[in-house]
Amino acid sequence: MANRVQIPTSNSALIAMIADEDTVVGFLMAGVGNVDLRRKTNYLIVDSIKQIEDTFKEFTTREDIAVVLISQYVANMIRFLVDSYNKPVPAILEIPSKDHPYDPAHDSVLSRVKYLFSAESVASGRR
Amino acid sequence: MVVDHETPRLENGQTDKEVEENANVLQFMDSMDAYLTLIHSLSSTLRRGWLELASARHSMGASRVNTVLLDHTSHPAATSLLVTQDEGKVDSGKPHFTLCKWASSSNENSLLGEKQSSQDKLHPQLRHRGSTKLYEEKTSSENKASREVDDPVQKERSKSLSMFGTLVSPKLRAAQLSFEAALETLVEIANMRSEMLCAFDQVNMKLEGRKDEK
Repeated sequence: MANRVQIPTSNSALIAMIADEDTVVGFLMAGVGNVDLRRKTNYLIVDSIKQIEDTFKEFTTREDIAVVLISQYVANMIRFLVDSYNKPVPAILEIPSKDHPYDPAHDSVLSRVKYLFSAESVASGRR
Repeated sequence: MVVDHETPRLENGQTDKEVEENANVLQFMDSMDAYLTLIHSLSSTLRRGWLELASARHSMGASRVNTVLLDHTSHPAATSLLVTQDEGKVDSGKPHFTLCKWASSSNENSLLGEKQSSQDKLHPQLRHRGSTKLYEEKTSSENKASREVDDPVQKERSKSLSMFGTLVSPKLRAAQLSFEAALETLVEIANMRSEMLCAFDQVNMKLEGRKDEK
């Protein structure tokens, strides 16, 4: 590894959410909801794709957010954005939703590492 | 496979470099397995939470368990994360997340309360018939301390549910606990994810190095 990646540390970082209504309500009951003085929240109950894109970009650039929870079916709508994201913090976690169970084939983290299991990578190591 | 006769070998025929590479690969496989297991556990916890929330909505009415009732006034999150840099390996650069549940600014002891109440659940106090008075006094004071520390946490939980009214269905409280459990699993998943990616980088680096040598 060429340069050591500096991790932004924090003692009160937020958990952001981009998910369906029930998931967001559930986690808000668990106390993760934050509303700042400008009435900006750390959660989005999904509506339109444009709004999801803008919110994803906002949450991944905010310094006070450490983890972004995103329902996998929502992540699939902006897959190009999610797959191109590669910073360690905030960590993007794809979660199942009520109507869409988790599919490991679509998980961006597992997609990143799956090439290690391909025949091509094994063959190139053996040459 | 090219056999290098000059590099010193261990008793099983492996070099130090091969041992390290195997360890990296094993770590990667283990962390990936743990990641998938945790995701599976999260799925079942969330399913339980959604079902309890649906039951609460059914008993309280859809108008009482609704996003319209969410608190949009300025307020900090009661549950947050502590993010530190994991110094386990040189140049690892991986983050470590720790969940701080119900740790609002006016509630410094809640973190301790959560740890203490969770330890009580893991190691329930045994009741001894005919125990000494000293033991009874000690357990009584420990129970009192545990209850005192639990109170601020219960207050925070009730405050969080207050947006749905003063009297809420027991199913709603159960849903709250399920989502709290889901949060704990999510933090474990976040840590396992960073461990997996770090191990992947190590393995990938070795593979790239081999390609360059050839």
